[in-house]
Amino acid sequence: MIEEGRALFLQIAENVEDSIIDGSLSEETQAPSTNELAAFFRINPATAAKGVNMLVDKGVVYKRRGIGMFVAPGARERILAERRAAFADRFVEPLLVEGRKLGLDADDLSRLILDRATTARVPAIEPTEGTGR
Amino acid sequence: MTDVIQVDNLTKRYRDTLAVDDVSFSIKKNTIYGLLGRNGAGKTTVMSILTAQNFATMGDIRIFGEDPYENAKVLQRMCFVRESQKYPDDALPKHAFQTARLFFPNWSQELADQLIDEFQLPTKKRIKKLSRGQLSAVGVIIGLASRAEITFFDEPYLGLDAVARQIFYDRLLEGYTEHPRTVILSSHLIDEVANLIERVLVIDRGRIVMDEDTEAVRDRAATIVGDAAAVDAFIVGREVIHRESLGRVSAVTVLGALTPDDRRRLTSAGLDVAPVSLQQLVVRLTQHTAGEPITVPTEEGVLR
Amino acid sequence: MTAYASDGAGTRTRAPNRTLSVVRMQLINKQTYIWIPLIILGGAFVLALAVYAILFNAGIDSPKYGGGAQAPLWYFLIVGVQALTLTFPFSQAMSVTRREFYLGTLLTAALTSSILAGIAVVGGLLERATNGWGVNGWFFGLPWIWEAGPLGALLVNFVGAMLFFVIGFWAATIYKRFGGLWLTIVLVGIGVLLVAGLWFVGRLDAWAEVFMWFGTVGVVGLSLWTAALTAVLAGIAFLTLRRAVP
Repeated sequence: MIEEGRALFLQIAENVEDSIIDGSLSEETQAPSTNELAAFFRINPATAAKGVNMLVDKGVVYKRRGIGMFVAPGARERILAERRAAFADRFVEPLLVEGRKLGLDADDLSRLILDRATTARVPAIEPTEGTGR
Repeated sequence: MTDVIQVDNLTKRYRDTLAVDDVSFSIKKNTIYGLLGRNGAGKTTVMSILTAQNFATMGDIRIFGEDPYENAKVLQRMCFVRESQKYPDDALPKHAFQTARLFFPNWSQELADQLIDEFQLPTKKRIKKLSRGQLSAVGVIIGLASRAEITFFDEPYLGLDAVARQIFYDRLLEGYTEHPRTVILSSHLIDEVANLIERVLVIDRGRIVMDEDTEAVRDRAATIVGDAAAVDAFIVGREVIHRESLGRVSAVTVLGALTPDDRRRLTSAGLDVAPVSLQQLVVRLTQHTAGEPITVPTEEGVLR
Repeated sequence: MTAYASDGAGTRTRAPNRTLSVVRMQLINKQTYIWIPLIILGGAFVLALAVYAILFNAGIDSPKYGGGAQAPLWYFLIVGVQALTLTFPFSQAMSVTRREFYLGTLLTAALTSSILAGIAVVGGLLERATNGWGVNGWFFGLPWIWEAGPLGALLVNFVGAMLFFVIGFWAATIYKRFGGLWLTIVLVGIGVLLVAGLWFVGRLDAWAEVFMWFGTVGVVGLSLWTAALTAVLAGIAFLTLRRAVP
């Protein structure tokens, strides 16, 4: 779960964002608190707080006075947009490089992708109803 | 954020060896610090001096703004149980806890009882007959249950098995979350405590070689792996702190975070990046430090 | 010095005096300062009495004296040593100042000394009343100690016990602060001075004067001199302790 060599607060923020994307944490529901995150991942609460603050700055969560942190409306779309922008760097580039090593050009790779997509029937990401955290 | 501990130019000299060499740092309130370093690096000496158990040769230390020496008002807000702590002859663990209760104003008997249970500490056995792990457990329980505003843990888990260590980390975090306090955790098991500490102080041969936020240091280094020539081309201008080779493949650890641009270059060059854990970084840095080997006395106390 | 503690609800309660807490700390394990000295004293007494009874029954009805009452003193000296070697480091871990530890420990030693002295006096009174436990055997009521009556006996027993404790404590502070080598040098040095003193007395053929002095000074006087010596050693111990490392 926790990776070496990367700041923890980033990973905490990503983890919360992952939950928002896959629908287990829907908008306007309560996000896990700093202490809950710290206890779950067994990390320093100050680090968890840093991650949560980052999400606040990004507009992914906001604070409701006296109650806690809630997922902001539109958060899911914002995160998806951000991830899509980084997708090419994170996944496509290494794919091309590896393909080059194995002698597969862009067309070969496209064919492989289409093949796999149809046979594996990977489900598209759909937001689930109702129950958040 | 107030500084609860302020250390300026602290030096400790034993005859001809320099156990602590011009060390300066400050400790902020309600923060967990890791005091990392090899055995004999000076960790215990520094902590002893901060708690007025040992004396500085030169330099100034302020605890809550005051000199701790013979200062009961300040000392009772601190707790330092050292790694090889001595206990009164024939004392039972419960005697130690009863005594702690007398002197630590925030002592939590409830927490102590819970921990005695969790560590499975035998209550009828004399302390001098306890195993190394059980002895450590006594120290850990005193440190945790003292709820002292500044608590030092000096290699607290020697002899504790992995399960017991996890109990310690969990209770430490739990206690810290509910009752914030300043904790200084000295350890050479860096990776185990890396996620608990907010700030890293690395001491090597009596000198502070790192004093940073843990988060800032986590991506401070990376290991570039791949074809030796490609690796060498990439690392131009970067500080190398470790190098390994196997045939045409080399793995070089360099300092400096990698920008997204760097990562793109690495991917196109077909090079891999392996993360460098905090432990690996500290180990490499303390192996890397050049200079004359200084023998540090491993036992404090008696002047030699 | 008064200190206040908060019990969390905001009310301030008087925090316990830490020097007295040191006494309580020393007494948490009652063996060291209470039971063992008493057991040693009791054991030595029973042993002595048995021997006296045997001798009496064998027809020896002249007064029999024994030095068994000093047995607990040697143990007490060791307690003084261990107060430094084991309890002092622990007290440091308990965030106790050296001064609180020093005063509290001496106070505890005084408590034990009082108990031992009290028993010695009561024992002595009983002994005199029974004329040597019916066997003309003397353990507590040695004539020289009782020369000034029960109060003199109380004083000399108290001061004697304190002296033994403080000697152990003082020697251990030197050891802790300066190491075994220096302790040896100091002890040897003291030994040399004593021997030199004895030689000097012999040289001046002044033994008669020395014994006269002891006689004039008496139990009470000697106790006061011993108390002075104890105070000096205790003072040195404190100064040494101030810079000792646990």
